[in-house]
Amino acid sequence: MEQNNDAAIVFDHVSVTRSGLSILDQVNATVPRGSCTVLIGPNGAGKTTLLLALLGEVGYRGSITLGGGRGLRIGYVPQKLALDRGMPFTVAEFLSMGVQKRPLWLGISRTAGKQALALLDMVHAAHLIRRRVGTLSGGEMQRVLLALALQQNPELLVLDEPSAGVDFEGGRLFCELLDDLRKSQGFTQIMVSHDLGMVAHHATCVICLKRRVIAQGPPDKVLNGDVLQALFGMHMGLICAQDHTHSMPGTSVAEPSSREHRHA
Amino acid sequence: MPDLSWLFHLASLFPLDGMDLRFMQQALVALVLLAPMTAALGVQVVCYRMAFFSDAVGHSAFAGVAIGLILGVNPHISMPLFGLAVGIVIMFMQRFSALPSDTVIGVVFSAVVAAGLAVVSRNNTIARDLQQFLYGDILTMTETDICWLLVLFAIFVLFQIFAFNRLLYAGTSGIIARAHRVPVALFEYLFAALLALVVMFSVWGVGVLLVTAMLIVPAASARNLARSAGGMFWWAILVSLTSAVAGLALSVQPWMGTATGATIILVSCVWFVASVVVSSVRNERQG
Repeated sequence: MEQNNDAAIVFDHVSVTRSGLSILDQVNATVPRGSCTVLIGPNGAGKTTLLLALLGEVGYRGSITLGGGRGLRIGYVPQKLALDRGMPFTVAEFLSMGVQKRPLWLGISRTAGKQALALLDMVHAAHLIRRRVGTLSGGEMQRVLLALALQQNPELLVLDEPSAGVDFEGGRLFCELLDDLRKSQGFTQIMVSHDLGMVAHHATCVICLKRRVIAQGPPDKVLNGDVLQALFGMHMGLICAQDHTHSMPGTSVAEPSSREHRHA
Repeated sequence: MPDLSWLFHLASLFPLDGMDLRFMQQALVALVLLAPMTAALGVQVVCYRMAFFSDAVGHSAFAGVAIGLILGVNPHISMPLFGLAVGIVIMFMQRFSALPSDTVIGVVFSAVVAAGLAVVSRNNTIARDLQQFLYGDILTMTETDICWLLVLFAIFVLFQIFAFNRLLYAGTSGIIARAHRVPVALFEYLFAALLALVVMFSVWGVGVLLVTAMLIVPAASARNLARSAGGMFWWAILVSLTSAVAGLALSVQPWMGTATGATIILVSCVWFVASVVVSSVRNERQG
């Protein structure tokens, strides 16, 4: 495998087995520093599992090397939050709980409040500061979760299907926002996505995963008919036999992904 | 033992018939210490969905007393320590077992209840105490118990100052909190230990059957009334304290003559109904 000093993450023969079932099998992949690396693959391909292994939530064999070591600052944006929607919990509190020393039952400190507003401003969501977390829509929640991750001043931003449950326009805006932030903050971004149109437009590196790595590299090299057929099967291969760059996001290329559902 | 007479003198000033009696003063002091603890921990129990956990710990009270009697240890010491051990064992099993957490709790729950009943069935003298554990009796709180409650209260206040924000983080999402370098496991163990101890003390007060109510009802009312997580903390304490004091005052009235623990829970349930009304009126205005 190509050894690269500019690698933010190197997955070296990573395997995950759960209840005797192989979920990831000898995954070798490299995430370049400063890249927007997207994991694609069908349901059950192990995309989320690979992210969880990276976060240390799932046990694995092999090694995952982080450039910068284990002290690397990570920001994590989950697909969604299993939150009690009726809980009185404001966005301002949500963005203060990780930084404020004073307990929140004594109120939000002036500095924490200012910082929360600045973070929301970065994700173009300053108007949400007084809202309750439980009343946010999918797209609003995603921005607030991104703000929480940015609070870590991350060197590595990990996102699990950020465009799930958000309409097409919202998904596009969110990806553009991520592109801008990545350039200004200089973090490495690794995410799972089902939206091939988005991948073609925003990814700088693609890892095609189906228990093993089928292919990896820049999207214009990797997203060809053969790879997509190997990943998604016959139907997908036929559609994508046409040059993928001609297909607009959200049209036929992305269509099979809309049938896909979140896997554990 | 430290001199607590000033505390009881303070309690005797409370405008209620019978407050000149020492056991009433002790009951009031015990309740004023217990109520804020169950209320604030209840907010976290609701946030963490740990009602079943606290129920299991509460039900270990009887086994704790039984084991104390077998080993010749004062039940007032063996019971909280046993509850603490049960709480830690449950947390440990949840972490390192593939079973769903409610299954783990269910198994431990069964074991401790069966252990308690097994001991009782051999020894009839303990059986007479069974009723006290089912219904509780705040009026039998001793001065030593209150000393321990004061210690526990100090630990509780420190914990709420240092851990409240971090627990909120961990309760929102363990994965995010861990990725963002919050020592989630440490805070969860500390929380479980504190909760187990508070639950055991509450068993003296309101009984095994109503311990969970002490935790859940004020927090549930606060959830309806508060507009922020910080506000929920204060609302829960307000509901719990007023219910405890009003419950005590009502239960000793000759025309009531009810068990104190049950009366306290009934008052807090009135609070809950009121909170539901307030919250639905508020939603209607906004919608």
